[in-house]
Amino acid sequence: MSAATPVLSMRGIGKSFTGVRALDDVSLDCHAGEVHAICGENGAGKSTLMKVLGGVYRPDEGEILLGGQPVAFRHPVEARRAGISIIHQELSLLPERSVADNIFLGLEPTRSGLLDRAVMQNGARRLLERVGARVHPGALVKSLSIAEQQLVEIAKALALDASIIVMDEPTAALDDRDAGRLLELVGTLRREGAAVLYISHRMAELKAIADRITVLKDGKLVATHTAAALTPAMIVRLMVGRDLADFFPTPGDPAKLGPIVLSVQDGGNAVLADIALDLRAGEIVGIAGLEGSGKGALGRALFGDEPFTRGRMMIDGHEGLISSPRTAIAAGIGFLSDDRKREGIAPQQSLRDNVLMTLRAFAQRLLPPGSGAMARTAADRQLTEVDVRAAGFAQEIRELSGGNQQKVVIGRWLARDPKLLIFLEPTRGIDVAAKAAIYQLMRSLADRGRAILMISSDLPEIIGVSDRVIVMHEGRLAGELKRGASEEQVMHLALGTGATEAAA
Amino acid sequence: MSATAAHTAPSAALRFVRGINVGVAIFLVLYGTIAVLQPSYFEVEGFLNFLRRAAPLIILACGQLFVIAGGGFDLSMGSLVTLTVLGGSMLAGGNPENTWWTIGVLYLIGLGVGLVNGLVVTLLKVPSIIATLGMLLSLNGAALMWSGGAPRGYLPENFRALGRLVYREVPVTGIMPLSVIILIGFVALAAWLLHATVFGRQVLAVGDNPRAAELAGVPVGATRVLVFVISALSAVTAGILLGGFAGVSTAVGQGLELQAIAACVIGGAQLLGGRASVTGAVAGSLSLFALFTLLNLMGLPQPLRETVQGLILIAAVASSAWRMRRA
Repeated sequence: MSAATPVLSMRGIGKSFTGVRALDDVSLDCHAGEVHAICGENGAGKSTLMKVLGGVYRPDEGEILLGGQPVAFRHPVEARRAGISIIHQELSLLPERSVADNIFLGLEPTRSGLLDRAVMQNGARRLLERVGARVHPGALVKSLSIAEQQLVEIAKALALDASIIVMDEPTAALDDRDAGRLLELVGTLRREGAAVLYISHRMAELKAIADRITVLKDGKLVATHTAAALTPAMIVRLMVGRDLADFFPTPGDPAKLGPIVLSVQDGGNAVLADIALDLRAGEIVGIAGLEGSGKGALGRALFGDEPFTRGRMMIDGHEGLISSPRTAIAAGIGFLSDDRKREGIAPQQSLRDNVLMTLRAFAQRLLPPGSGAMARTAADRQLTEVDVRAAGFAQEIRELSGGNQQKVVIGRWLARDPKLLIFLEPTRGIDVAAKAAIYQLMRSLADRGRAILMISSDLPEIIGVSDRVIVMHEGRLAGELKRGASEEQVMHLALGTGATEAAA
Repeated sequence: MSATAAHTAPSAALRFVRGINVGVAIFLVLYGTIAVLQPSYFEVEGFLNFLRRAAPLIILACGQLFVIAGGGFDLSMGSLVTLTVLGGSMLAGGNPENTWWTIGVLYLIGLGVGLVNGLVVTLLKVPSIIATLGMLLSLNGAALMWSGGAPRGYLPENFRALGRLVYREVPVTGIMPLSVIILIGFVALAAWLLHATVFGRQVLAVGDNPRAAELAGVPVGATRVLVFVISALSAVTAGILLGGFAGVSTAVGQGLELQAIAACVIGGAQLLGGRASVTGAVAGSLSLFALFTLLNLMGLPQPLRETVQGLILIAAVASSAWRMRRA
């Protein structure tokens, strides 16, 4: 490995933003046919480093060498022309354009000056097949799921025929089946001689595909090791600078289970059927399933966002129909969306205004905004209780990291003391330390007599946090597993290969 | 050590610059220039007369501000002003006894217009810019039909007094126009509603992220309907004042909705919602009105005034975008 000149070499990169040192003397290289993983907590400098590489930022110090030649990009286009393709975490697709249009955006094939649609359609189809997306090239991007969009984004990067491919948490939005296919694709790219920089929080992935792993912390490079030399525990320790012995909380005491808080019989709507479910105070119920299994739809149905159109619901012993989020909240249900940016926060409002949003939604309109339970001290207590880390509570919430935003939204629900909290992908895109904090929070909420429904695509989280696991398949409950079930058991049910009777 | 100091200094300076409302700064410069050309503006009486004439625009901007804060636009304000003035003269027919019930009817019309705007936006999911553009055309048509194409009747004296009565020999200020008293009351009401009530926070939340607000339980539809009602009621109020000193004409409200939007933006309100201040909207309207006054004093023709208004709007939006990026 050392004999060949690396395809990419970054030397002593430094970058500051108005006094904050985002990157400090970071050096790493990547060879042809190598997958070099980069990990670190949110804010460790991973994305800044990738933006320097992609020509979005210019480094204050250091240099970038491509095949041994120094380069200086003044614009992302120059980086793309030099063969660097970056798949960003935030999707950059145009929702109103077709998949093929997006894949060839800026590289449109032409014939005598006109767009060559046939070449575009065929090229797009080939690329989509390669990334394993079952998507029509003519489909509008907005009609696709987040997971499908992610695959299109990757196909778009491949259209460039880049020698260096950067993937920033590409599997964050994918379920295990799609993620597995993506990892195979990374393997193929490596065999074809691409140099791949791979940013991820998922330990299992890093072990599966990385050749080398570099850990960043607070803008500095902590260590670069061969993947074989590191265990997940070692990686976590390098990332957070300490052990996370109690990453998952201790399970709940089955003897302390309270009464049934919510019960559904024969629930169904356009995507769900035959939902029968009892949730008890004091338990965390995990809902697992593949993308499209209806697990997200179940959460939205219980919260009245896409309500059940059939069946019966009992809330706290009363028969009730939940027809909108507002009626759900009035009945004592809280909901944490999987799309924090679009559905969770009001980005320009302060932390206090965000944490008080639900209390105010049910207050008299003409009351002062800080009266009674909405007082500033109450808001601050709530924010402190969920352990939000911020410069000040008057700060706009958009300036916070994802994990802290998530805590504010959780705090919003706690202010109303709900009986049931529905968490949709509660830790997506959140760093390891914040994840652990959110798991602990969920546990302590359950221990204090709330029911928690956690819907997640992250299997280790489902297994590590839930008191029992319900697996969904094609809009139905495929089976239920006790605490301590294995990932294999969950996958069997999720794939529909395990019989319902086999479940405990 | 020195590095920290070097970093805190510019950020404090930057925070100070961001803290000043652009609208206030622009207004002070413009008003100063006017007063240099026309020294009477330096006197209390001159200023109060200036306020009296600016009152309708300020009231319109305060109403528009609620719609903007909630993430929409109300383009129907100007035509509702026209309808108020024409309708007022038709209904009252010059008889002072008719004034009070006429004003009641005008507010009912305003309430109806606001409800229709709000319901079309919420229930039919029509973007507010289109919904209220439709309302603009309908109201203009209705005003012309009702008045038969030309202004008829006239406003009774006690109706017109609301816009042009000036109390003399008032302590401290010397004079006090009735419309300035109405203006102060209205602005105080708007400031209270937007900044000191739960409703104001709901409006800002809905404007900032309607989806998040809905999932947090905020009654998004009702909030949207209410902001359009507030906007329409403020248009009727502005129309009543304007009828007092501008007289009855079919063009009295023309273009006022755009001036109101421009005033809000100059005052730092963010188009598409989530950020708004009544102080800003007042300062923005005063700036805009001072600009018109200045261009008038300089003897510039109407078309040039409109061109300048457009340029100001672009500059205000660009500067607020620039400040957002710095933030």
